[in-house]
Amino acid sequence: MTITRADDRVMDLGKLFPADRFVCDAASRSAFESDGLAAFRAKPLAVVIPETADEIVAAVRWCFENDVPFVARGSGTSLSGGSLPVADGIVIALNRMNRILDLNPDARTAVVEPGVINLKVSQAADPYGLYFAPDPSSQTVCTIGGNVAFNAGGAHCLKYGMTSNHVLGMKVVTAAGEVVTMGGASTESIGPDYTGLFCGSEGLFGIALEITLRLLPKPEMFHTVLIGYDSLRAAGDAVSAVIESGLLPGAIEIMDAVSIEAAEAAVKCNYPTGAAAVLIVELEGPKERIAFERELLQRVITATSPVVQMIAKDHEQRMGIWKGRKSVFSAVGRLSPDFLVQDGVVPRNRLGEALVAIEKLSVDSGIRIANVFHAGDGNLHPLIMFDGNIDGMLHRAEAVAADLSQLCISMGGSITGEHGVGMEKRDFLAKMYDANTVEMFDRLRRAFDPKLISNPGKMFPGPEAPSLGMAGLHPLEKAGVIQRE
Amino acid sequence: MNDSILRPANEAELVDAIRGHQQITPCGNMTKPAMSTMTRDGDTTRVSLSAMSGVIEYEPSEFTFTALAGTRIDEINAVLAGRNQYLPFDPMLVQAGATIGGTVAAGLSGAGRFRFGGLRDFIIGCSFVSGDGKMIRSGGKVVKNAAGFDIPKLMVGSLGRLGVMTELTFKVFPKPASTLTLVVNCQSSDNLNRRISEAAASQWEFDAIDSRRNEFNLYLRLAGPPQVNQAIAAQVSGRWGDDVRELDSSDSFWQSVTELTFAGDRSHVVKVPASSQSLCDFDHHASAADNIVWVATDDIAFLSERLTKLALTGLVVRGDWNQAIIGKIYQSQLSRNIKAAMDPLNRFGE
Ligand SMILES: Cc1cc2nc3c(=O)[nH]c(=O)nc-3n(C[C@H](O)[C@@H](O)[C@H](O)COP(=O)(O)OP(=O)(O)OC[C@H]3O[C@@H](n4cnc5c(N)ncnc54)[C@H](O)[C@@H]3O)c2cc1C
Ligand SMILES: Cc1cc2nc3c(=O)[nH]c(=O)nc-3n(C[C@H](O)[C@H](O)[C@H](O)COP(=O)(O)OP(=O)(O)OC[C@H]3O[C@@H](n4cnc5c(N)ncnc54)[C@H](O)[C@@H]3O)c2cc1C
Repeated sequence: MTITRADDRVMDLGKLFPADRFVCDAASRSAFESDGLAAFRAKPLAVVIPETADEIVAAVRWCFENDVPFVARGSGTSLSGGSLPVADGIVIALNRMNRILDLNPDARTAVVEPGVINLKVSQAADPYGLYFAPDPSSQTVCTIGGNVAFNAGGAHCLKYGMTSNHVLGMKVVTAAGEVVTMGGASTESIGPDYTGLFCGSEGLFGIALEITLRLLPKPEMFHTVLIGYDSLRAAGDAVSAVIESGLLPGAIEIMDAVSIEAAEAAVKCNYPTGAAAVLIVELEGPKERIAFERELLQRVITATSPVVQMIAKDHEQRMGIWKGRKSVFSAVGRLSPDFLVQDGVVPRNRLGEALVAIEKLSVDSGIRIANVFHAGDGNLHPLIMFDGNIDGMLHRAEAVAADLSQLCISMGGSITGEHGVGMEKRDFLAKMYDANTVEMFDRLRRAFDPKLISNPGKMFPGPEAPSLGMAGLHPLEKAGVIQRE
Repeated sequence: MNDSILRPANEAELVDAIRGHQQITPCGNMTKPAMSTMTRDGDTTRVSLSAMSGVIEYEPSEFTFTALAGTRIDEINAVLAGRNQYLPFDPMLVQAGATIGGTVAAGLSGAGRFRFGGLRDFIIGCSFVSGDGKMIRSGGKVVKNAAGFDIPKLMVGSLGRLGVMTELTFKVFPKPASTLTLVVNCQSSDNLNRRISEAAASQWEFDAIDSRRNEFNLYLRLAGPPQVNQAIAAQVSGRWGDDVRELDSSDSFWQSVTELTFAGDRSHVVKVPASSQSLCDFDHHASAADNIVWVATDDIAFLSERLTKLALTGLVVRGDWNQAIIGKIYQSQLSRNIKAAMDPLNRFGE
């Protein structure tokens, strides 16, 4: 490897950190070279591991002064290549920024550092009967900073919204090095909602240093029902029936036959047999309300001609139902060596149509697709299964993914409901929004980041991407015989 | 300020109006005049969106609607009510004629923001004209969307300084069958504080938690089927005994908050995001478990001074004043950069 000028300068950054928290050896850098979308890899010049907000600010300011790109990284679970490093930049790893700074049960708020694991917030709030509502399936590992940057969602978005709806304020350092306070401890603020703008900015604005979260009282009771149908379409229609009834469930999820098969094989969730698709509906609230709503739900379901039904009688059975649902992603890994997870959104009343189109895509391409989705908000998660060792398969899988994004756009939906645009879907941003709007996104980005050093190559279409695609690799690289440095 | 008011009838006319004038103040119907008062001298033209009005798309099964910015909230409420849906955050000044554009620009949510969140949590799409006269369409029409930056949220509270909104898309919810309001007399300020926290952290799912500190009164709104509300009310009475009673005309009580008539003939009402305890010596009403304080006063200069001392910020929601934001004003390089990105020619004022 030749030492470039940039590498040289990076050694100066190292002077701001103790040796064990500035790593630039090849092995350590490899540990950061991809995220949950492993098809893309790039090795950063160095990784810094701050332990205080001041250290983050110092690193960002150093990058700004020296024109060195950086990527903030939480747990690296992004599924769209959002935390993929920039090959000539540094990674700012935030795992050690993992303190809950304040938990105020009276105000129902928690002030946390960005590297706090999502689930830890609910665990800390639990003794006060409170919890943090956004619960992505990755909640045992992903960080609040990553959740904020991606505006992460989960099964409860219909009723409770996304991460952004639970962030009251934050302190951030912009990519230009300015430390700014947005929002505050109150649920209301005055002036433009900068907090709302920062959520979902995919690491392109700078780094969140401190985040104030809204906590909610834990629901007194849950009522969880698993309903089997003889077709995906019937399950989709049942969602509309539930919505039309005026109920507002905490979660409405659908799994298709392939997903059920995968979940069953992986975690033996004992879903009732004989269904082509299952719908999970969960009501939550005070027991007085549940007593009323469960009857209403029962009437609605009976009218949708289900083939089988299972009502969770206790906490254990409820967890059993959710275990099957939550295991699908990893379970599909058992059915297929590789898969791409898509995250498109369609209007809820076009779900049935979208599923038929996906089925056709699968047949036409010969690629198996499993469907599991947040049906209440039209958020699809098709899992496109392929074998990356077979020549050209990744390409074909990506082509199917692209068709899916296009499908969602043409139905008036979105290319992403919660996983972000990232590296993966950046070519579709300009298909979803017109030129004026994309230009305005760019202007806003430059308001935070005039030198375009914060997570460059993501979200925006264009040639600035410094990262590699699997499809572009030399066969020997693919086989692991040689590596690019 | 010149006296003319332009009333474009469509987007094209609005774009022309903006491109054709150097200084512009957008407005809806001016229910909140302090917010569209221009602080700078010069030839400023008012552009009213009142002619761009109407709900243009409504999909009850999607929980979404799209309306032109000049649409009055009362009109929107009526359309939604036809399908048993509503905006759960209790939009303000509905009877006074507030428009949806003015409401977003002002960033106002009422008592109902407590349970499911405020206006910012329900806006999902927004079209607007930037200061350099470009039509921008951000966000979308599905309830869940993470693509691109969330400009619709940025417009919340932007007071017409970042762009002129033309079209807004919102998420809505099913409307509860009925509401029931309880008044809990708490006798002391400490007791009131305790009960606010307790109510807010309880599993009863109150729809609104408001208070009037000078009366030591706590107002709790339950929303749902009547029998559910009654059952929960019985539990609350079980907890706090004789202090709890049902409010018979709950509608007029909540209207006095959303229309700010509780302030009587006080000339000004100011929204302050803060705990009400620091503003006890002013007439005020607190919403959302003490997160929003509505302060009524005849002496706004005095209130402004007080807010500055407390490092609090206030928004003048009723009454005329030479600026919309009083008290401590935060300015960052970032906020100037964002303003410059959205309004590079500084057409919309500071
Ligand atoms: C005390 C009072 C009582 C009234 N009573 C009645 C009544 O009974 N009946 C009646 O018909 N009318 C009444 N009016 C008139 C009336 O003002 C309204 O109809 C009014 O609609 C509201 O528009 P707005 O208030 O939402 O916005 P405005 O007060 O006009 O504006 C608020 C803020 O939003 C910004 N803004 C507004 N629209 C946009 C946009 N599209 N894009 C960007 N920024 C924007 C402005 O610049 C300003 O900063 C009353 C007015 C007052 C003051
Ligand atoms: C098995 C599995 C299941 C998943 N399920 C879900 C799900 O249900 N819902 C969902 O929404 N997502 C899901 N995800 C995706 C992922 O977990 C989320 O996007 C999560 O928010 C990423 O958090 P992270 O800490 O891993 O962030 P990273 O992947 O490390 O980073 C993600 C992005 O955030 C930026 N970032 C990180 N920290 C900061 C900070 N402090 N300030 C500014 N930017 C920052 C990064 O630069 C990057 O752009 C899943 C992923 C996996 C692997």
